[in-house]
Amino acid sequence: MKLSKKVVLLGHFGVGKTSLFRRFVDNEFSEDYKVTLGVQIKKKVIEMPDGRELSMIIWDTEGHADIEDTRKSYLLGSNAFIYVFDLTRIDTYKNINQDLAYLAKNHPKVKIKVIGNKLDLVNEKETLKIFKEQDIAFDCLTSAKTNKNVQDFFLDLAKEITV
Amino acid sequence: MTYQEESLLFNRKTQCTVTDHDGTIKETDAKVFKWKVGTSIYDAHPFFEIVRSFIEVFEKEETTYNFPCIHLEEGKLEKICDVTIKINSQEIIIILFDYSTKYYELNKIAQQKNESILKAKELELKNQYLLEKEKFKNSFIANINHEIRTPLTGILGFIEVLEKTNLNFEQEELARIIKRQSLHLNALIEDMVDIAKIESGKIKIVNERFLFVNVVEGFKETYAKIAEDKGIRFETYIDPNIQEYLIGDRTRVFQILNNILNNAFKFTEEGKVSLSITKNYQRTNKLSISFKIEDTGLGIQEENLTNIFNRFTRFNEDKQISGTGLGLAIVKDLVDLLNGEIKVTSTPDKGTIFDIKLPFKFDVTKSTSEKKKKKKKYSLPESKKKFRILVVEDEEATQFLIMKILISHGSFFVDVAINGAEAISYLERRNYDLVLMDLKLSKVDGYQATHMIRNNYGDKVISEVPIIGFTAKATEAERDKCLRSGMDDFIAKPFEQEDLIYKIVKQIAKKAAS
Repeated sequence: MKLSKKVVLLGHFGVGKTSLFRRFVDNEFSEDYKVTLGVQIKKKVIEMPDGRELSMIIWDTEGHADIEDTRKSYLLGSNAFIYVFDLTRIDTYKNINQDLAYLAKNHPKVKIKVIGNKLDLVNEKETLKIFKEQDIAFDCLTSAKTNKNVQDFFLDLAKEITV
Repeated sequence: MTYQEESLLFNRKTQCTVTDHDGTIKETDAKVFKWKVGTSIYDAHPFFEIVRSFIEVFEKEETTYNFPCIHLEEGKLEKICDVTIKINSQEIIIILFDYSTKYYELNKIAQQKNESILKAKELELKNQYLLEKEKFKNSFIANINHEIRTPLTGILGFIEVLEKTNLNFEQEELARIIKRQSLHLNALIEDMVDIAKIESGKIKIVNERFLFVNVVEGFKETYAKIAEDKGIRFETYIDPNIQEYLIGDRTRVFQILNNILNNAFKFTEEGKVSLSITKNYQRTNKLSISFKIEDTGLGIQEENLTNIFNRFTRFNEDKQISGTGLGLAIVKDLVDLLNGEIKVTSTPDKGTIFDIKLPFKFDVTKSTSEKKKKKKKYSLPESKKKFRILVVEDEEATQFLIMKILISHGSFFVDVAINGAEAISYLERRNYDLVLMDLKLSKVDGYQATHMIRNNYGDKVISEVPIIGFTAKATEAERDKCLRSGMDDFIAKPFEQEDLIYKIVKQIAKKAAS
């Protein structure tokens, strides 16, 4: 049986949403920053452990410093939001708790996941310590550049949204 | 803007497509994408999968959804469209407004804006990284300095001991080389620490009142001997109009002049080196003094003059002339810190002139006829017994060195404890005339041990025993910490035998007199 689920990538500009999107769907990475205007959409068919096929429709949205500036229509019909922030830029996660609260309030049925990206640019141990001290919760630290944790994250998400 | 105007301006095209509720295309004008009747809209692009979720929640009322700026592709064709989806009970109407031209223009602007913000962030991050790296480097230098100084103390001390033994000519020469190399290493450490301190802003300029002539007298004594050995002249001149007492950082002024004089003597084999000190100007209680150091040495090529104050710069390849390549860099940094100026002019094979201008203050209310302070002489009190010293040190080489120095002096008995706890147990069992206390000790360190000695005993023989701290951390802060913890004096490693003996004698004499 074929399943289709919509996943939306959200977060500030330049945090690596498009890089994660391209890394997961096409296994490609580019060092060049290209701004995303509006939304780009790609499909990745995932074979689930139980034999079902999942079409994950991933919406890579343009970045906004304020989550409330994201176009409302992009969020319609979503099964999961992936909130991405840049581990090297504090401005991309300083309001994370308010942003997540906003999403949870307006989309109570949608699963929300948080990714700290650009792991290749930081010391993982130090970063974990800092985030613990600042009480910032996340689900996964990734590097779209090195592909660290990217595939596993999306596959785990696929399992969660098809339960 | 009318539809026609907008179409004309942005070259806008529209495409209208009608599907049934299963997504099968019933009709399309195919003006943007070549979709075919009878195929599924869900196969046209993953974007249209969204329609499934709208159908799931559709009831009876016609509903319209607007999606701006959607990237749609068909093969190699890419368009950025605004999409309107209308769902009614019979069909789904999809209208594409192709705004690619407009969006590509907007894209360029957004790209520039975001890039500039990201570049600024990147620079900020790089700057932060460099600052942290600098901090690490400075703390590394401070630590490595401590680690090197301790064994170096042993080496220099043992060379002095070795020099007093019966050596043949070859052995004397070898000892001299070891000493020269060790002193060079010591100078290098001092220079590196100075550079690290300047960079981290840890050098504090001290404004103290001092007898100015003393600075010059010190140079006269030191360099007259060197000049004599080299067969050159050393001439000095002090402007008699300069106040006897000045307010400034005597140590840094000494360091600056000593570095330049040292270089002048190193590179001058015939002729002379002169130090001329003149007053530039004086206003109220401020004055500017010019220090001109002139030599008739090798000189510096013109092209090298611009780099002369850079770190690790050495233009002379002669390995017999020692140097770290840091001296002039430190001089420049110190002159800047003192708000002074330094200029250099040179003619190859004729000589070099350094002209340094430094600001000072003077106290208009104080008498200028104060006599210079001389190091007070102390001697050990009359005693039939030898004086007993407790050395608290965990480093075997330093223990042995101090024992050698004290025992060879002939007036002392020495016991050695390896940490603070052991020192206290020694003090409880035996009367000591003085304790030499290393600060960095395991279990109970030097400060803790001193605190315990001063506070835990009613017996004054223990609680008032003179204590001299010694450590490789040769800083003012360390000295203050020693005195605050109850020690009577402080000596930095590597120390000279004469200094160590002077301090020990001074403390024993003071205690006997009290």
